[in-house]
Amino acid sequence: MPDTTETIVPAAERPWDLSMVGPYLFILPAVTVMLAGLVYPVIQAFYLSLYDWKIGTDFGDAPYVGTRHFIRMLGDENVWESIWVTLRFGFWTISIEMFLGVSLALLLEKPIRGASVFRTIFILPLMVSPVVVGLIWRYLFDARIGWINYYLGQIGIEPRVWLGDASLAFFAIVFTDIWQWTPFIFIIVIAGLQALPSEVLEASKIDGANWWQHILFVKLPMIRSILLIALLMRLIDVFRALEVMYILTGGGPGRATELLSLHIYNRAFDTQQLGYASAISVLLIVIVFLLSFAILKMGNPMSEKADI
Amino acid sequence: MSSGPVNITAASVAAILIATASLANPYEKYEGTTIVVSWPALSHFSAAETLVEEFTEETGIEVEIDALQYLKLRDRQILEMSKPEGEYDVVSWVVMWKGEYVSKGLLTPLSQFFTSGSLVDPHYDIDDIADAYLQNGGVVGGAKGYLPGVSGALYGIPFGAETSILAYRKDIFEEYGIEAPTTYDELTAAMTKLYDAGVPALTSRGKTGHQVTAGWLLHLAPMGGRIFDDEWNPVVNSPEAVKAAEFMRHVARTGPVGIETFGFGESAAAFLQGDAAMHLDTLKIAAMSRNPSLSKVDGNVGYALHPEGNRCGSETGGFAMGIPANAPNREAAFLFIQYMTNKAGDQRMVELGGDPIRISTLQNNTEGFDEYPVVAAQLPCADPDWRPLIPEWNEINIDVLGQALTQVITTDDPIQPIMDKANEQLREIMEREGYYTWASYRDAR
Repeated sequence: MPDTTETIVPAAERPWDLSMVGPYLFILPAVTVMLAGLVYPVIQAFYLSLYDWKIGTDFGDAPYVGTRHFIRMLGDENVWESIWVTLRFGFWTISIEMFLGVSLALLLEKPIRGASVFRTIFILPLMVSPVVVGLIWRYLFDARIGWINYYLGQIGIEPRVWLGDASLAFFAIVFTDIWQWTPFIFIIVIAGLQALPSEVLEASKIDGANWWQHILFVKLPMIRSILLIALLMRLIDVFRALEVMYILTGGGPGRATELLSLHIYNRAFDTQQLGYASAISVLLIVIVFLLSFAILKMGNPMSEKADI
Repeated sequence: MSSGPVNITAASVAAILIATASLANPYEKYEGTTIVVSWPALSHFSAAETLVEEFTEETGIEVEIDALQYLKLRDRQILEMSKPEGEYDVVSWVVMWKGEYVSKGLLTPLSQFFTSGSLVDPHYDIDDIADAYLQNGGVVGGAKGYLPGVSGALYGIPFGAETSILAYRKDIFEEYGIEAPTTYDELTAAMTKLYDAGVPALTSRGKTGHQVTAGWLLHLAPMGGRIFDDEWNPVVNSPEAVKAAEFMRHVARTGPVGIETFGFGESAAAFLQGDAAMHLDTLKIAAMSRNPSLSKVDGNVGYALHPEGNRCGSETGGFAMGIPANAPNREAAFLFIQYMTNKAGDQRMVELGGDPIRISTLQNNTEGFDEYPVVAAQLPCADPDWRPLIPEWNEINIDVLGQALTQVITTDDPIQPIMDKANEQLREIMEREGYYTWASYRDAR
């Protein structure tokens, strides 16, 4: 056999080999969009956090303050309080939404009479703009003219200042979030359930699994990756949540409902501390990154595709 | 027939006169110009829209109005005014922002226009505008930077300016045998009496941030308190300030349900819908109570002076209009401001359901406007120093006092420690912003 190895020139030495450049060219648009849309704003936020800039003044005149904003942030009890509020909010909303969303999906996955009507009704809150959600619930929870107090009054319960009492206001924002976002979990889970292979389900029935075992040991493990993605998206959403709380309570009373994103907004625009708000934004990015990383570590739904 | 040439001559003379008259029209040069006005979506300003239409009809200057919720104006205006060329020709600001706007160089001094004979109407009579309004809304650079003084300069003309008066339900007061209170002690007693009878007493702003602070400040000045002493040392933990905070707690306990969530709109609505017996805030409540689409209490509202603590001191607030430094049509903008605030414009605002800024208008319209004599009597002791309009005020107002006072009205925590803590936080802000450098420089010498 003739030796052909000598005639092969190593790829790196071929100047215009498209097989090497091709893949990079194909991912170039995506990388460009990601750099422009994601990385650039993050770098800008970090850059801004090093300056004490006020809107309405020339950025060139803004004094450089180095890490002063970061040092102030680490000792600022208000920042830590809003992180704590966000974590509590996330814990309650996500756990209840996951439980309700999965339960509703399991109940309505069967082709029972009227299921499609129920499904449509359940996903309606998801279609309403967050600002409108905020306004609807603000008027429902209103202490003086709200429906909730009106109907409680009908059964002899004293009116409550839902949005003006620290614990009731926290309950109100959790309740509103659950109302709006449970349908999201519901849609994702029901789509996952309907895509499950019927052979496995039938096999488990033949093996004698009862209804609980069927759900806990067959269905839920099979949609595990979908549940993780839903959890991850909700978690990121919790840290981004702004509009509903802004309209509903504005973060009050005190800082009882001031989630981290709202805290950043209030610092940036109400009190005009843009540099300081940017420093807190950087902290927000770090927190979301760490949480996402931890969840993906727990079970990366993409790991099975890593060889592609 | 000899009438032909005479008629022709008369027609020519008339034509020349018309041509001369049209040349003498001070608005002619700006005909067809479009100016953009940024102002709040509040009742006074919606009423002014008819006057704006009349302005366009009379002058040929088109006006586009960008109306926003009043606390949202500042972000939008600052963004526009910091561009090389902005969209806005006229901006209407809440008086507490004037210091910040001027310190950032965003406004045009009105002296640039008041020195122009072709722009200023000799009948404008600026001295007729209530001094408290003009000083508080339009003058920047006097004592402490925001108070009247010879070093001040005029940047705006009040429009939608206000002071505070007490509005009360005559029918309720009569039913329970209560006289209109003239002092805070009488007011407190009236509130307790009404509350004990099951009637929500005094409505108030109470939402966290700017609103709860505004509610408290209304009582701080008449009770003898201040935010800072003359050396910029914060004094919000003084006995007077603590007493005002105690009074706020009493207001929240005896007033309509939900004060902790009330902004100005909600607070006024509680009074106008019959859910509170008193409203101690801006005089705007009077025009609102006459508006049938807002009010169920028209005809039952009486007015009295803002009660006194150890001094007479009502608020000075509301809005003033000025011209951004980067406005594209500054002269047309000045003509607009002048038209809206001259004597005829001020009178027209009264007819349209707005609030006047001129003493003569208050004096000429006593019939049908029960509050005008009260306002005229209140204005001499309207206090321009009831809140410090320094550039740092927003942070102090929202982040420090707005938080502390929420704690005051939503909890039973002792008030003195809350105000002590707020005082410390205020000192930190002032230190950070360099207010004590002169004091330390002097001490070091």
